[in-house]
Amino acid sequence: MSLDTDFITEKLSFHVKSFQESFEILSKSFSLSEMANQFVKVLRGSFFTTSIGIFHKNDDNSKWVTLIAKDDNTIEKIRNISEQDSLKINSNPELTELYTITKLVDSSYLGILLGKKFDSTKYSDIDKITFQIFIQLFDNAYQALLSHKKEKSLIFDLNNKVAQLYNLIDTGIELSNLHHGDKMMELAISRAISLTNSSFGRIRVIENDVVKEETTFPPNLGNDIHKNHKSLNEKFIDEGIEYEFILCEKESRTGTVEYDETDKLLFSAIVRQVHAAIQNDRFHKEALENEAMKRELAVAAEIQKRILPDKLPVIEGYDLAGINIPSLEVSGDYYNVLELNNGKFALILADVTGKGMPASLLVSTLDASLQAYLDFQIPLSEMAVKLNSIVFRSSTADKFITFFVAVLEPSTGQLDIINAGHNPPLILRKDGSIEKIEAGGVAFGMFDMGLPFEGQKLTLEKGERLFIFTDGIPEAMDKDEEEYTDERLEQFFQDVVPDKASDFISSIVSDVRKHTHGEPQSDDITAIYLIRK
Amino acid sequence: MVLDFELTSELVNDVLVIKTEGYINNAGGERIAKEFEKYLNQGITKVLIDIEKSKVVNSIGISFLIEIIEQLNERGGKLYFTNLDPSIEKTFEIMGLFQFAEKVDSVEDIK
Repeated sequence: MSLDTDFITEKLSFHVKSFQESFEILSKSFSLSEMANQFVKVLRGSFFTTSIGIFHKNDDNSKWVTLIAKDDNTIEKIRNISEQDSLKINSNPELTELYTITKLVDSSYLGILLGKKFDSTKYSDIDKITFQIFIQLFDNAYQALLSHKKEKSLIFDLNNKVAQLYNLIDTGIELSNLHHGDKMMELAISRAISLTNSSFGRIRVIENDVVKEETTFPPNLGNDIHKNHKSLNEKFIDEGIEYEFILCEKESRTGTVEYDETDKLLFSAIVRQVHAAIQNDRFHKEALENEAMKRELAVAAEIQKRILPDKLPVIEGYDLAGINIPSLEVSGDYYNVLELNNGKFALILADVTGKGMPASLLVSTLDASLQAYLDFQIPLSEMAVKLNSIVFRSSTADKFITFFVAVLEPSTGQLDIINAGHNPPLILRKDGSIEKIEAGGVAFGMFDMGLPFEGQKLTLEKGERLFIFTDGIPEAMDKDEEEYTDERLEQFFQDVVPDKASDFISSIVSDVRKHTHGEPQSDDITAIYLIRK
Repeated sequence: MVLDFELTSELVNDVLVIKTEGYINNAGGERIAKEFEKYLNQGITKVLIDIEKSKVVNSIGISFLIEIIEQLNERGGKLYFTNLDPSIEKTFEIMGLFQFAEKVDSVEDIK
């Protein structure tokens, strides 16, 4: 039967509304399979058949995938369409089936088969034309689906980039609030994995070639990382410790893919954030320690200041001066001159090993005990044994006190002396000679075995001078670490004999300063100078 | 492939509740989508995903969730989330999930 244009136009005009509705239905689909489902409904309504098969293949080399089929044989009819019949509307000889392959807008292929109609009538030429138009509608709707998908994909990618940026910033903030060992590595690896779509990864902390810490994501990863995995690697070294990062197997909806430049940038940024967080954590701890040390030193300095005398007593027939110049780091030098209740005076000088609070507390203990024992007027050697015992019990093994005490009877110039490990004080005799006070004994706090402290008795005649000092004077160093020395101190003591004790003290401090030439004072300078007029 | 994902599901009245545990990535997202599809033909239109035990999610996992949102949206349904980690919640927000999905405190909040 031949078809003239008027006839075709008349027949198809009945389908116009159906074509419009079909396109609307098809173009609302969000996937190819849903579109195929909708297409079956459209075709069923137009051709009165339920026997419909729809197939798809991505390109010439792909296999056909069944989207809709009543039975497995249907696909064979599509497969058997020859290349020359492809893209045409084909029918079986009985005209009870129509089938075709059409090339879609993305160069993929759609195969469609219309089976027997309900009423077993044959497919007409008009049916073939209508079928062709529906296929064209499908292609148009498919094009709309692809455009919509592309648009959604672009929006998704854009949103994902914004999310990555936000996550990166948040990760930096969160890492900076954590301490190493406080889930810092767990956060870093999980965020790096999430941002790069990795499947799994690991952070190792290596010190001296030994793995000290290992953090994986997922946590139960075990040793499931090997050379064959597509991976990204980063590392840094901080304070001799190596931090090694690895991410593996970038995911996509279709399998593992290669990492791209954005992944490398994101990963590198997170690794740098971890490095910065570790450094900041260390700096923060150091700052806290420094702050604590400063507070401790301030308290120690206050203790020392409170213990040291504001002014020394006046001793008739004598001129007396004393000094304590603390170094930057508070040490435990101590001096005092106490007037006893029997008219005598005790000249005391001590030096505690160590610095800071422990030294100050030990000096404080010594000061309190000393005052009590001196007032009871027990023999000095006996007092020394008791003080040693107290210091021993009050201090750690590395703390001890060198101690010198001379109890002066002002009327006779007699000095009753105990020296527990301190620098030998000096006496400048009338004839200009120097006498070292050699009375001996170990420093307080070293042993507590009741060992006796040998005392010594000397007399300071009129015109003679006594100089008691700590090692801060002879051991004061210049920039080349050259010490002031005992020899220079003795020479100065011998040569400089001012009328006033305070002048000697200020002179020798000036001489020490001349030697150190502005170098920071490494130890306390403490001294007592006594002139018998 | 390292698997770090588990899920359980149950129907609470007319709401499909899916509880996840572990990384919502390609494998995790696919598991959620398959579980959802099992119930889709039963006319389920309300789905609640409880991700309390999922602290890490990537964009592939999110793409599966978006597809579920779209499918529910087509059917006049809705996807709900509960127990969101703050970091994941922010990511979902930026990715536009809450244009159609909703945060709830519990399944009882779903009308």
